Amino acid sequence: MGLRKIRFVVERDLRMFVQYKFMLIMRGIWFVSQVALFGLVVGKMVEAAAKAAGINYFQYYVAGVTIITLYSTSMFIGYDIFEEAEHGVFEYLLTLPVSRRELVLGRSIGGGLRSFVYLGPLLIVVLSLLGVSNPLHLLIALAGLFLFAFGVSGMSITIAVAMKSGDKYDILIGVLDALIVRLSTTMYPTVYLQQAVPSYATISQFNPLTYASDLFRWGTGIEGTFEVSPIVGVLALFIFFFSFTFIGVVFYEKRLEGGSWQ
Amino acid sequence: MKAILHVIEYDFRNFFRYRWFIIGLIAMNLADLFISAVVFTQMTRGIVDYFRFFAPGLAVLGLFASAFMIGREINMEVRREIHHYLLSLPMSRTELAIGRLLGGGFRGMLYMTPLLLTNFVLLGLPTLPQLLLILLALFLLAIGISGVSISIAVSTTSFEKFVTARGVVYYLFFFCSSVFYPMAIIQTLEARGLTPLVRFAQINPLTNGSDLIRSFLLGSPSFSPLMLLDVAVFSVIFACCATFAYTKILMRH
Repeated sequence: MGLRKIRFVVERDLRMFVQYKFMLIMRGIWFVSQVALFGLVVGKMVEAAAKAAGINYFQYYVAGVTIITLYSTSMFIGYDIFEEAEHGVFEYLLTLPVSRRELVLGRSIGGGLRSFVYLGPLLIVVLSLLGVSNPLHLLIALAGLFLFAFGVSGMSITIAVAMKSGDKYDILIGVLDALIVRLSTTMYPTVYLQQAVPSYATISQFNPLTYASDLFRWGTGIEGTFEVSPIVGVLALFIFFFSFTFIGVVFYEKRLEGGSWQ
Repeated sequence: MKAILHVIEYDFRNFFRYRWFIIGLIAMNLADLFISAVVFTQMTRGIVDYFRFFAPGLAVLGLFASAFMIGREINMEVRREIHHYLLSLPMSRTELAIGRLLGGGFRGMLYMTPLLLTNFVLLGLPTLPQLLLILLALFLLAIGISGVSISIAVSTTSFEKFVTARGVVYYLFFFCSSVFYPMAIIQTLEARGLTPLVRFAQINPLTNGSDLIRSFLLGSPSFSPLMLLDVAVFSVIFACCATFAYTKILMRH
């Protein structure tokens, strides 16, 4: 496997990302409104409960919104694939002297990396709001988030190539988005998920967003958020990354040929 | 009148072409109610019964998102120059504009109906006059939202600019309203120097629309005719803006 070729694929995906400038602006507006309006007001509303759980809800929520942003920008790669299929660029990519494996690996890494590039400025704002108590913890958390972003890109590619239909992809991503974000600890601590509906808490334990957001909170030193060891968090994100990159490669290789994109 | 009905029918038929989008929207709304609201109910115990509080807000949220969809279609028509065909139809520009505006509003009402019925199941039934007032307020709100959406859609031929403007309007109207949280809590933002946002939240038609439903189904806040007036003023202003923008700007493209 040629690293140079993978680098070319990654570079191409990074360049492609710029074409979403308005989408990115919109995500930025969403982020600001979530933090400056929703976070502040809901923080007031749940003040007592947050104190009982030993957390500062505003900080808790800001960290969660950061992970939701990372998740949604990593998912963009799937839309790129449909755009390419629609405009016939897919066939062009297949003619390039790059193996299928290099192509999907490059795309998965590119998809994750570009969401990190986008998140960079937001992360600076977030870290200035949250502060950093232990730089080593933060570095470990960021490494975990890299795995998470690559894994989400791999998942997006897997779903896109499995569906081969823009409409079906759109609906599945919409439903997945609605469930995966809400059934995680991005917006509320596990203890309240458990109190509300115990099965929600159980599902959230298998949700990569839970591990990513809890790990990020641990990395920034937000109190009382990580219920399992951070090592377990990193491990869970590694398994997520590995599974979807591997499944992505297999699916991509098997379903690339033959067109049938809708 | 017949021409307007044809345009409304055209928009209704188009609405069902976006079934995937609608399914996604329904999933998101239900997840908001049966997951997020249920969890927040645990976190706001003793302050507000969040599930009951949020249910009317959700109906207004659904109404907003579905009534706004007409703008996406009109912007697409402008970009693909389908509006030339529409302008060539044997009807006046004003009839066409009014038909589009009403079509957008009715689509919002159609989508919102199951959500409103869910409210009645969960929170209880209003009296007949209350029901009529709720439907009137929501219809006016849907027309106003459809008007905002059409005004933005015909003002730009760029889909990206439309999407960005839509994002700004969405988030401002959603988060700066009492859809998600009680007005009393929004007012605490004044202490942080965010008075303009608090003022906007007070006059936001989404605030008044959802509070009007709450006043009848939950008994709090108490009903005020100003709620209906606020929604009516919003509706009239943006219905006029949209009619003007659609008839004038569209011919310029």
